Amino acid sequence: MNVLNRLSIVSMLGLLPALASAADEGLYTEAYRDVPMPAGFRVEATPEGPVFANSNGMTLYEWPQHKLRNGYSGESPSNPACYDEVLTVTAGLMSPYPPGIKLPELDKRKSCADLWHPVVAAADAEEVGEWTIVERRDGSLQWAYEEQPLYTSIKDSQPGDVMGGTRRSFGGDSPAKRVPIGPPSLHPPGFSIRSTFNGRMLATDRSASVYSFDGDTATSTACEGACLTNWEPIVAPSLAREQGEWSLIERSPGVRQWVFRGRPLYTYALDSGTWSQTGTDIPGWNNVYTQLAEPYPASFKSQPTMVGNALATAEGKSIYVYNCGEDSQDQLGCDHPDDTQVYRLAMCGAGDPERCQEHWPYVIAGADEESTGRIWRIVWIDPMTGRFAEPNQEGALRVWAYRDRPVYTFGGDTRPGDLHGGGTGEWRGQRNGLKAIMLRDDFFRGHL
Amino acid sequence: MNTSMSTFFPWPAKYAALFCGGVLLSSMAVHADESRIRNRTISYVMTDLFWSVYQTEDAKQECPRGFNDGPREQFEKLFPYHEGLSVQETQLAQEIETWHPTTESDGFEFYEVEGELAWGLNLDGEVSSNDFTHPDGTPGIDNEVYRAVGCVIGFRGPDGVEFIFQDKAILDEEYNRMMIELTEVDSLDNDDTVVVNMYRGMDRLLTNATGQEVMAGGTQRIDYRWGESLIRQFNARIVDGVLITEPMPEMVMPWQNLSVPSIHIFKDARFQLDLTSEGASGILAGYADVDSWYYQLIRNDSTHHLSNGQISGISLYKALRRLADAHPDPETGENTAISTSLDVKMAQVYIVHPDSKAGE
Repeated sequence: MNVLNRLSIVSMLGLLPALASAADEGLYTEAYRDVPMPAGFRVEATPEGPVFANSNGMTLYEWPQHKLRNGYSGESPSNPACYDEVLTVTAGLMSPYPPGIKLPELDKRKSCADLWHPVVAAADAEEVGEWTIVERRDGSLQWAYEEQPLYTSIKDSQPGDVMGGTRRSFGGDSPAKRVPIGPPSLHPPGFSIRSTFNGRMLATDRSASVYSFDGDTATSTACEGACLTNWEPIVAPSLAREQGEWSLIERSPGVRQWVFRGRPLYTYALDSGTWSQTGTDIPGWNNVYTQLAEPYPASFKSQPTMVGNALATAEGKSIYVYNCGEDSQDQLGCDHPDDTQVYRLAMCGAGDPERCQEHWPYVIAGADEESTGRIWRIVWIDPMTGRFAEPNQEGALRVWAYRDRPVYTFGGDTRPGDLHGGGTGEWRGQRNGLKAIMLRDDFFRGHL
Repeated sequence: MNTSMSTFFPWPAKYAALFCGGVLLSSMAVHADESRIRNRTISYVMTDLFWSVYQTEDAKQECPRGFNDGPREQFEKLFPYHEGLSVQETQLAQEIETWHPTTESDGFEFYEVEGELAWGLNLDGEVSSNDFTHPDGTPGIDNEVYRAVGCVIGFRGPDGVEFIFQDKAILDEEYNRMMIELTEVDSLDNDDTVVVNMYRGMDRLLTNATGQEVMAGGTQRIDYRWGESLIRQFNARIVDGVLITEPMPEMVMPWQNLSVPSIHIFKDARFQLDLTSEGASGILAGYADVDSWYYQLIRNDSTHHLSNGQISGISLYKALRRLADAHPDPETGENTAISTSLDVKMAQVYIVHPDSKAGE
């Protein structure tokens, strides 16, 4: 087991004092199981949980095969598909548009390998455990983990960055995304962990949310009698052993309940869906996270909407993030200011950047606001190009960005709680469009 | 269309008839109809809600020139040699037209409904040459949404893509779990004054073992937290077993068919529902806000899904704007709303208020 140093993690994540003092969970990061690694690799704590990194601390990604409407993209096991060939036409993987259409900005277009650097293995490198070596077309060697070839992202610049991709689940019509990989999380059998906007959320292996109660301790529980009608203790198998942050409490002779970080764990009988947050409506009950997400800017707030709680500006305007992936065989991203802006400008303003600012204004950072960490940063954007700008560059805006992607409000939202922009764009906002950032989503299972 | 309630809620009066006869049968049937009223209150939850589309078997009557093209067909006609063109000139050009629509012609002839018959209500109290006639002979039916979508395959039952997704979503999801609660009810046959409350529910529907047929007698909690803005109260009367509500200035109807939360806004909205103790069926009619109607459609359905129903959002928007017939914009004078009708079916349900128990 390797539980990372808590204080260094707080520092790394840039946790706001408000969060760190508000909840002990803010001090934690996710523990993981030691697995054998080749020399030159390490584990980094990131907002996506522990990930494998190269010797410089750069996160390693895989590109798993993903079924799209008209075929597959991504990589099948041990078969690298990301090369230095610049693709020029669409693949027609998403209907109704056919293949063979010229991709935009061909004169500036990068290859897959320009953006995703293969993790090269030395000629004398030796395979270790799940770490294997695959051969690329040119005969060079590339590291793979669990048979998936590995890459680093040019969007990552510091150890612990995960700007190239997330572990959040994505729908079948999303692009074939690159996903950070890491060692297995350290939890007993019967549990699972999922990346959410709020953090790394704990659930049972059947995706039932796990809850803890403020009145409980590691050695005593206040949930007895009628409380057990709706709250079901998560019972450990008879052979279960305490390990690391996981301990056991004997509720009655022979019946032991799992305890995580000093809190006995339960499921909620009235949860009607998976990964639910509804149990937290009962005072004293909380979802359980192995680590919390970096706090959002202090000027933002949680805004009730007809769907749940959306992240919103201080005025209550829902906040949206732009998603984009090209219909090319290499499924390159187009959602970052360094990527082509052709798609985004088409969607937000029919190609007109001024209309974009009218329909989808950037969320301007307050003059006295500063970046809160690596995930929520203040960046300078040239609104006429959509690209990063130099500080105080003429016409540039100082805006909030989530994972380096600027965030927006929607001109069609006129009242606090309006959420009329969600799903705007191609494929319900998944491929060239915008989705709201939901803090709590009781209806759509986190798909927004 | 206009499927009788006995098809969906088949058991109540039928089985009573097996055991009773004559006057006794009559009195027991009345008793059964009133049996689910509690404290002068009876409630219903929506199980079906879709645009009223009058269809003949071969569509020749309403769509003599056939059905409209969808995005896939239009793309092939616009760009027969797409290989030499760019994403901006083709795909994004079409997406721009979809997401930034205009009323200018797209060069495609749009087939509106040409038949004279339509489901719906006379919303404006007038009979004009633009109106449809109800299949029962009632003139003056206002339903311009039908005129726009009636010759679009995706809106036609039972296998149009919109019909299928909506049919599924209203059973499977809770975002759109709308209910009406009739209070101050003395009789389901005739009652001069009934007060109707409209809420969103929070719970799954009670179904039979197939999971597909909704049963009467389920319970629903009220979503006061996220659904507070959907709550409405309006007056109604019951005439010969039909609930007739007064027009509501504005009703917001949550709508979901493919994981995007959206809404329809109906102005001057009114229900006309056949009531039984087991369920309600009939019509919700009013004037739909055109922009909300359109963006609900294209946010829920990508161009791919629209293609499967041969629904050109680009062409349909122009038709909706052209056919809009109410609520002119005070500045431009252009109508912002379009008359419509939706087929509604509901199952009786016990609404659980925070301080009550089910069935009280």
